Amino acid sequence: MSQATRRPSRSDTSSDGDPEAAGETVLAVDNLQKTYGDGDDAVHAVDGVSFAVDRGEVVGVLGPNGAGKTTTIKSILGLVVPTAGTVEIAGVNAADDARAVYQHVGAMLEGARNTYWRLTVAENLRFFAALGGRDPDVARDRHERLLEQFNLADKADEPVNDLSRGQKQKVSLAATLARGTDVVFLDEPTLGLDVEASVELRRELRRLADEEDITIVLSSHDMDVVESVCDRVVILADGQVIADDPVEDLVGVFETQAYRVTVEGQVPGGVRTQLTDSYHTENWDVLEDRTRFDVTLADGDTLHGVLDVLQAADRQLLDVDGLEPDLEDVFLDVTGTAPGSDADEGGDGE
Amino acid sequence: MSAPTQSAGFDTGPRGYLRYFLAAFRKRLLLLLRYPVNTISQFGTILLVFFVVFYGGRAVAPTAISDSIEGIIVGYLLWSMSITAYSGLSWGVTREAQWGTLEQLFMSPFGFGPVMVVKMVVNVLESFLWGALTLLVMMTVTGHWLAVDPLTVVPLGALALAPAVGIGFFFGGLAIRFKRIENAFQLMQFFFIGLIAAPVAQYPLMKWLPLAQGSQLLQTAMKDGVALWNLPAGELAVLVATAVGYLALGYAAFHYCQRWARREGVMGHY
Repeated sequence: MSQATRRPSRSDTSSDGDPEAAGETVLAVDNLQKTYGDGDDAVHAVDGVSFAVDRGEVVGVLGPNGAGKTTTIKSILGLVVPTAGTVEIAGVNAADDARAVYQHVGAMLEGARNTYWRLTVAENLRFFAALGGRDPDVARDRHERLLEQFNLADKADEPVNDLSRGQKQKVSLAATLARGTDVVFLDEPTLGLDVEASVELRRELRRLADEEDITIVLSSHDMDVVESVCDRVVILADGQVIADDPVEDLVGVFETQAYRVTVEGQVPGGVRTQLTDSYHTENWDVLEDRTRFDVTLADGDTLHGVLDVLQAADRQLLDVDGLEPDLEDVFLDVTGTAPGSDADEGGDGE
Repeated sequence: MSAPTQSAGFDTGPRGYLRYFLAAFRKRLLLLLRYPVNTISQFGTILLVFFVVFYGGRAVAPTAISDSIEGIIVGYLLWSMSITAYSGLSWGVTREAQWGTLEQLFMSPFGFGPVMVVKMVVNVLESFLWGALTLLVMMTVTGHWLAVDPLTVVPLGALALAPAVGIGFFFGGLAIRFKRIENAFQLMQFFFIGLIAAPVAQYPLMKWLPLAQGSQLLQTAMKDGVALWNLPAGELAVLVATAVGYLALGYAAFHYCQRWARREGVMGHY
C-alpha cells in the first residue's frame, strides 16, 4: 500500500448508498509488526500481520490469549506505535495523518470503562460526539436513536455509575458510535455480559453493519459472538495471521469441542495408537491407576467414537470433562493447515 | 442509511474545537454541580489550610502575621490556584487512564495535544474560580483588602500559573509513561510553596525559577496597587519568558512521554 495515498471513501462521497462503496477497502493493514525489547529478549507481539476490511463488513479477530489481538488492534489505532508496517483507514495512512484517521475510526477497548461514570448516559454521548468533532445538538436525533436501539432511552438521564454492567457496556458502545465514525473497533465487546445482553448486543452490531454500513472489527474469545456477527474471521496465533476466511468456511471451528477423558488403568499401546491415529489427542498422562488425555473433536457427537474405542478395549470410563478448545489447535484441526505451510500438521482427526 | 461521517455538524476546525472546549467545560461544571459535597470539600480544604496558617500563625506570632498578611494572602492565592491547575493535569491523566477514557481522548480528530490543552484551559479557569472565591474569603476574614484590578490581576495570574501548568503537563506525561507516581505529585505541592516564597529580591537569579517571578509581580500589583502597564517592562519580559518557556518545556515533555508510552504499549495502563 503506498504511503499517504488517498482513495475515495464513503466520507468523500456526497450520495448515500453509493453502489461504488460496496466492496471498497476501508481498512488495510500491511505487514504490521510490533516488537518489544531487542536482541534475545525481543518479544514479537505482532509479527507481520496483513489483512483488509471492506466497508460494511464485520470482521472478527480471533486468537488465544497472547496471540497479539489487542496489540494488533491498538497498533492499528495508533495507541501502540508499531515497529513496522502500514495502516490505512479510509484511504489515509495512519502514520502520516492520525488526526484524519480518527475522523473515521472509533474504538471500545477491552477492560476499560471508556466512558465517564459520573456523567449521565446522554451527557456521555454529547461529550464524545464533541470529542469526535461533531455538534452534539445536530447529533441529538442520532443519539436518541442509539439509546432507543440499545434500550437505554429511559436511562438517558441517569449517571452511568448507577447502571448494570451490561447497560454500562452498551453505553460504552453507544458513546463510541456517538462519534459517528464509519469504522468501529470493539475489543471483547461482550466480555462480562450475561447471555441476554450478549445476544442483544450481537443483534445490534449486525444491524449497524447491515443498515448503517458501519465497518466493525471486533476481537473476542466468544465463538458464539464471532459466529453470529462476523462476515469474516482473521485468526491470529503468535502474532501472525493463520487464517483469514469467511465465517461460513470456518463453521467447523464453531462446532469443535474439546474434552478431558479419564479411564481406569492404563490404555494399551495399540488402543492409544488407534485413538491418536483417528482423533486429535494430546496431553496423555499415565497415572498409577488411571490414564488421562485431552481430545479435540470436530463436533461433540464424535465423542461417542472415542468412547466406543475405549469400551472395546475394556477400559472403564471414569470421567469426561468439557474443555475450552484451544483456538489454534481447533483451527489446525479444521483446516489441516499451519502458518506458511500446506502440511497436515495436527489434522489427526480430520 | 449511511455512516454519518463528514455529515452536517462535523467540524474539526476552529469551530469544532471551540465546541469541544465548551463540551469539556460543561462536563467539568456538571461534575462540580452534581457532586456538591465533593466540590464543597475541595473548596473547604483550600480555606481550611488558609485558616490554619492565618489563625495558627496569629496565635503563635501575631506581629509577624500582621506584618506579612498581604503577602501571605497573595502567596496563598497563587499556591492554591497553582495546585488546582497542576493537579488537574497530573492527577487528571492518571484518573483518565484508570477510567479508560485517556485512550478515547487520544483518538480524537483534534489530536491528543489540543485535547489536553482544552483540559488545561478548563483547569486554569477552574483555578480562577476557586482563586476568586478564596481571595474574597481571605480578604473578608483578615480585613485586609487588596488591589484587585481584573485587567492587571487576570493576565498576571494567568502568566504566573503557566509554569505550574507546564509542570502539570510534565507530570501528566510521566504518569502516562510510568503510572503510579502519586507521591511525586504530592511532593510537588510543597515544592511550589518554596518557589512562590523564593526571595527573588535578594537573589535575582531566582526569578527564572517557575512561579517565582509571577509571585513577585502579583505581590507588587496587589499589595501596592501597581497596574500591569506600570510594572517594569524587563520584569514583565522575564515573567512572559518563564511562562512560555516552562509551559513549552512541560508540553514537549508530555508529548515525548505519550509517544514513549505508546512505543512501550502502556498508553492506557494504570
